[in-house]
Amino acid sequence: MIRLPLVLSTIILLIIVSCVPVFGISRITVSINPTSIQANMGDKITYAGTITNNSDNVVNNIIAYISLANVTQGKEAPMDLEDWSANKAIKVDAIPPHRTYEGKWPMRLIDSGSYVAYVTVVDKNDNTPVSSAMSCLEIKRVLRLNPNNVLPVALGEPILLGIVIMFIGFRRRKSIK
Amino acid sequence: MKTTYIMQKEIKESILTPKGFIWYILTSVILSILSYLFLTNSELSLLDQGQMLYMIMNFITALGVLIGLVFGADSFAGEIERGTIEALFLSPADKTEIAMGKLAAALINWGIIFMISLPYLLVVGKGGQNLLIGIAYLAILGTLLVTTFSAFSMGLSARIKSMKNSLIIAFFIFLLAGSPIFLSAAQRGTWFGRILDLINPFADAINIFDSVVIDSQGISYQIGRFAIICVYTFLSLWFLKVSASRLEM
Repeated sequence: MIRLPLVLSTIILLIIVSCVPVFGISRITVSINPTSIQANMGDKITYAGTITNNSDNVVNNIIAYISLANVTQGKEAPMDLEDWSANKAIKVDAIPPHRTYEGKWPMRLIDSGSYVAYVTVVDKNDNTPVSSAMSCLEIKRVLRLNPNNVLPVALGEPILLGIVIMFIGFRRRKSIK
Repeated sequence: MKTTYIMQKEIKESILTPKGFIWYILTSVILSILSYLFLTNSELSLLDQGQMLYMIMNFITALGVLIGLVFGADSFAGEIERGTIEALFLSPADKTEIAMGKLAAALINWGIIFMISLPYLLVVGKGGQNLLIGIAYLAILGTLLVTTFSAFSMGLSARIKSMKNSLIIAFFIFLLAGSPIFLSAAQRGTWFGRILDLINPFADAINIFDSVVIDSQGISYQIGRFAIICVYTFLSLWFLKVSASRLEM
């Protein structure tokens, strides 16, 4: 009877010990900065991703990339960052123990809506990718160029050429008569 | 003088007619739509102004080359099929002068397209980088390319003597010349793509536009590509001269 609580506590202790690596600090952590952005269409922003090596060993050959997902209602989709002029993946050769590496991803905001951005790090020695927290990105719709600049030309020139064609036709008919 | 006379005849017959003028209205309408979209469409309006200017310049050059090829295909084969070549040969102008007169008319046609496109270039590139230098490059390279493709198409027309076949070959040449537009950036980066880019005068011209308007590079970067385009121009003029001189009634 006395032994039962002892056995139970030993089992619970063993379970807790086996779970420590899962809940403990992982070898690499990533954070994204700024954590939220409000900007207008056409603005250029830069996200910085900080990769920290928490282990006592050098981390070699890791790949970091940024992802952007549209979370606007009805438009939920991952974005193709090539259109946003964002950098592609960054390959980090080595991060010394307990040191950090900062990668930068400048991008041009080409569409309005609500988005989330996050940085992911892939380490070939680890079978789980590590992602940062999500940074909220709110982009307001803006028309940067005044369409009135183009309207007089866009409408005026075909009309002017039409008048010229009518004039040529009229002169030809007159000369035939 | 005789060349001028042939040129005037061609302009009266092919350009200063209501049917000939429809080309220009179409050019203007397409440029209006493009410019309006570039400046007002929410996504396109965010393109770099240099990028917009570069795209419009490519379009104008392609249009000039295409119209030059069609003009060239019609020049001799069209006259033969319409039965008017004899009358042309009976004129005091020799065959080379006839060919040069027709080529000059094709260049006047390019000049009109360039003038039509000027307001659009100014509106789209206003306030952006390298606008005036870009327009100057378009004028020079467009003239060289239109001369090259029109002269080649005319020479072909004189040899083939069939309007339909000349036109088909002209369109094939246009598609081949326009290959940089159909190839992806990755394909153009391969050794095959790079060689094709280098030996294709149209690709050379659009790479010069890119280099000048977007990358703001000077003339020293363009000399090699300029030289290749000039070689093609001289070769096409020589081909036209030889082909026209061999033309018989």
